Amino acid sequence: MEEELPRICITIYRANRIINPIILKMTNLNVTYLGLDLKNPIIAGSSGLTNSIENLKAIEKAGAGAVILKSIFEEEIYLEFAHEFRKLGPMDNNLEFLDYYDYQIKKDNLKNYLSLISEAKKELSIPVIASINCTTAHEWAFFAKKVEDAGADAIELNIFVLPTNLTQTNEDNESMYFDIVSRVSSKIKIPISLKISSYFSNLGAVIRDLSFSEIKGLTLFNKFYSPDVDIFEQKIIGSDVLSQNTDYRLTLRWIGMMANRVNSDLSASTGIHDWQTIVKMLLVGATTVQIVSILYQDGFSVIPSMIQNISNWMEENGYESVADFRGKLSLDNTTNLAEFERVQFMRNFGEHK
Amino acid sequence: MVVENPLIAKSRKPGNFVILRIGEDGERFPLTIAGADPVRGTITLVVQIMGVSSSKLVALEPGDCITDLVGPLGKPTHIGKIGTVLAAGGGVGVAPLLPIVEAFKKAGNRVVTVIAARNKDLIILEDEIRKWSDEVIVMTDDGSYGRQGLVTAGMEEIIQRENIDECIVIGPAIMMKFASMLTKKYNIPTQASLNSIMVDGTGMCGACRVTVGGKTKFTCVDGPEFDAHQVNFDEMLMRLGGYLQEEKRATEIYLQKL
Amino acid sequence: MRSKTKNKERTQIERVKMPELAPMIRVKYQDREVNMGLELDQALKEATRCMDCVNPTCIEGCPVSINIPKFIKYIEKGDILLAAATLKETNALPAVCGRVCPQEKQCESKCFYVDKLDKPSVAIGHLERFAADYERNSGAANIPEKASPNGIKVAAVGSGPASLAFAGDMVKYGYDVTVFEALHEIGGVLKYGIPEFRLPNSVVDFELENLRKMGVKFETNYIVGRTSSFEDLREEGYQGFFIASGAGLPRFMDIPGENSNGILSSNEYLTRVNLMGAAMDDKDTPVLKGKYVAVIGGGNTAMDSVRTALRLGASRAMIIYRRSEAEMPARIEEVKHAKEEGVEFMTLCNPLEYFADEKGRVSGMRLNRMGLGEPDSSGRRRPMPIEGSEFELDVDLVVVAVGVSPNPLVPSCLPDLKVTKWGTIVVDEDKMQSSISEMFAGGDIVRGGATVILAMGDGRRAAENMHNYLQSKSNN
Repeated sequence: MEEELPRICITIYRANRIINPIILKMTNLNVTYLGLDLKNPIIAGSSGLTNSIENLKAIEKAGAGAVILKSIFEEEIYLEFAHEFRKLGPMDNNLEFLDYYDYQIKKDNLKNYLSLISEAKKELSIPVIASINCTTAHEWAFFAKKVEDAGADAIELNIFVLPTNLTQTNEDNESMYFDIVSRVSSKIKIPISLKISSYFSNLGAVIRDLSFSEIKGLTLFNKFYSPDVDIFEQKIIGSDVLSQNTDYRLTLRWIGMMANRVNSDLSASTGIHDWQTIVKMLLVGATTVQIVSILYQDGFSVIPSMIQNISNWMEENGYESVADFRGKLSLDNTTNLAEFERVQFMRNFGEHK
Repeated sequence: MVVENPLIAKSRKPGNFVILRIGEDGERFPLTIAGADPVRGTITLVVQIMGVSSSKLVALEPGDCITDLVGPLGKPTHIGKIGTVLAAGGGVGVAPLLPIVEAFKKAGNRVVTVIAARNKDLIILEDEIRKWSDEVIVMTDDGSYGRQGLVTAGMEEIIQRENIDECIVIGPAIMMKFASMLTKKYNIPTQASLNSIMVDGTGMCGACRVTVGGKTKFTCVDGPEFDAHQVNFDEMLMRLGGYLQEEKRATEIYLQKL
Repeated sequence: MRSKTKNKERTQIERVKMPELAPMIRVKYQDREVNMGLELDQALKEATRCMDCVNPTCIEGCPVSINIPKFIKYIEKGDILLAAATLKETNALPAVCGRVCPQEKQCESKCFYVDKLDKPSVAIGHLERFAADYERNSGAANIPEKASPNGIKVAAVGSGPASLAFAGDMVKYGYDVTVFEALHEIGGVLKYGIPEFRLPNSVVDFELENLRKMGVKFETNYIVGRTSSFEDLREEGYQGFFIASGAGLPRFMDIPGENSNGILSSNEYLTRVNLMGAAMDDKDTPVLKGKYVAVIGGGNTAMDSVRTALRLGASRAMIIYRRSEAEMPARIEEVKHAKEEGVEFMTLCNPLEYFADEKGRVSGMRLNRMGLGEPDSSGRRRPMPIEGSEFELDVDLVVVAVGVSPNPLVPSCLPDLKVTKWGTIVVDEDKMQSSISEMFAGGDIVRGGATVILAMGDGRRAAENMHNYLQSKSNN
């Protein structure tokens, strides 16, 4: 009995000694995005995968820090209307009935979307962000309030406009973004993030100015559907819908350049397929990353391994939290961007003879 | 008043209402069915004189016919055995409350009822309510009968001392609004029976539309009872005043004719 | 008849002009018909234009295949009553159809004159109305023959055109027919929807009286599914049901401010005025009158609403329609009449939001201008908002006439009844039989809000097939 006690004491003492250091060394991936607490910076971005309660629960189980619901947008309503139109039967030709029927479909779609939000909030404990594609301001401001009432934690506004309208000037194009943000933010209290494309002639200034508006986050960048050409059929066709794993570079560059110049969170989107790219984005200053294509390709199970790998990397490099290394490689705000770009270009190409 | 209509008496459930019309020139207006006797084939309606239509109805003698009467309309109250029910009726709202109180009591619940009105003369159906309630508190604004105070005061007293599982409020819209705000504070699920303006009562015109939980619903087919905490009472009050001028004018003309 | 007048002479005659009440006068009266009807000589002359084609293409355009040349030639001969009888062989309510059918899309669009001669068609609609009105006014009671009563009870739910056509045929087959109506007046959309200045209630009442004389029973203030259930009616002995409860469910656009006072569905507005007589002082039902009235929509219901608003004293009555005038679903004649009466047509405009005063009454609205884009699958060009084109309008009354949906009351009482996602009842298109074998359906509840003639066609087809169904059931 007496001999045993010291052994037990020693074991416990040793166990204490062992346990504490592990606690100290355990990395934590917590981040704050749009004022919301996320347990890690990995967000399942808006796509067909974030459209059902079953998927959302699976994504949460896989360990994602937050989800962005599939976007709701006008094109969808017309497509559904067109689809329904094909199976009318005795209602064929009933112009008076069908004339404004898209409003009915929109009402039903919106109702379903609001139900998805409230159900998701009941079932999930990670933040649920609603996503709205806009082309015009007023409609979505009204709807944004309903989205807030349904319980969404935040709204991502996706202003989905290609600058193909040749009569619109730069100012018109850009002022539309500010107009939409201002109208929507006047109606709601939950945070707004804005997802934009890179099609601006003065992208840097636009990113900076938008970050100083009422939004809390900017998502760079939207991935546009790109057409391709079939030279045998000689017609325009669709191309890959999923991103390639090198597509992240544009986002990487701009986050790196702007992270110290903006007044909002930055979320990286497009082409993020592996844990290394996630780390790259965080290093250049992103607060969170959004993954979509990789979930389609390899399933939700990529998430836990991403988390593990990032944790390991953090541990190997002595980082205890994301804040320890986020933005380590972003350009400081005193560097002249144009100068910097030229110098980099010279370094990469000019010096190679 | 007791009206003979065997079909409605048979198919009616607590919470249903009817639409009536008095005279060929009369307008269609709703009244809740306060009670029914399927054996005798009659239904009981309670009317308070408010304007032209209610005056015409009250002016009828036994043996007269109501020009048009259709029902039963609306979704019946959802009655179940849930524990303790707090029923609150304001003014003429006690009439539609009575069948609901009776049904909840018959379903085996403990029923505590607060009935309120401006003064003693406007307190109605007290005996009938007492018959079907475990406890009744009467409130009058001026203290001429029962206790002095608003219905919410009586409700709050009960809420403080008992665990209430569900609440039903029926009365003027403003009363339902404040009663609902009270129960929301205490997280008590509450149903309110709305008295919106109606024309056809079958879901055809949308005159009775209200916003519940951000969505538009029709009082005549989706209601008349709704989750009180989700009802936009301000909008409903505003819509109730939609024909104020026309109603005033019609009442003046009617009184002149008499 | 053909030989009496040479075709060449026939084609020289100009199409008759329907005498119309002058716009500035008719705008003061809710209950004065705009079209005053043809005189006998006008009708005879117009009937002469019809060339009695060997292959009458006009019949193809008619949803119930009325033998058009036959009735027109009777008119030419002067046998108006026989013309009316011909009409009644296929069309239960010719006085109604002659007034409200969109002939320009149906029979008249297929007339030889239009097809081959590029001239205005024979005025088939006006002639139909003429024959029907003549018969009514002549007092010649034409009660058709009936088969001997077979004692089988059938019920029609709803008393609109589909049920009336159904009842007329079933009673002829010998059945004991009862038509159940939820409202206090019979006629459905003919009474509450179509205004007096287009379709006088007296015309409808005459037809209803005829049906009564034939033995059809009507029950008002009776909601099948509520007042009694279908089960109750079965127990009372009803063996067949025709569900024609119509498209009485208003649709709104769900835009901000739409629940303000003074914004009504077209159903509410027209029901108050047409059914409840709200415009008249001695009727109790009120209606909101506006000085600046906007009606949203481009169909017949929108036309009816905006013209009613004018008659109730609007200084400005406006149609706000998101597409162009050419694409409006309304009858061309209604658009023409509306313009003559002073209705302003603001096409390619769409409301965004309504504003209200401190009492909650609508005081203005904001609209967008629209451009037309690519055609959608209905073949019509899609209205797209023009960015930055917003403008505001002062209004104190708005009528939303963007379409109606089937009333869900009856389908909600029958869980086994198959219903589409649009809310319409699924039927076998030839037999009009629903997924419940003794229940047939027709009219707006199958088609969404459609036309009177289509509803009647459904009613007649349902009657024929229910008759076959019940006969084969009783034979087994």
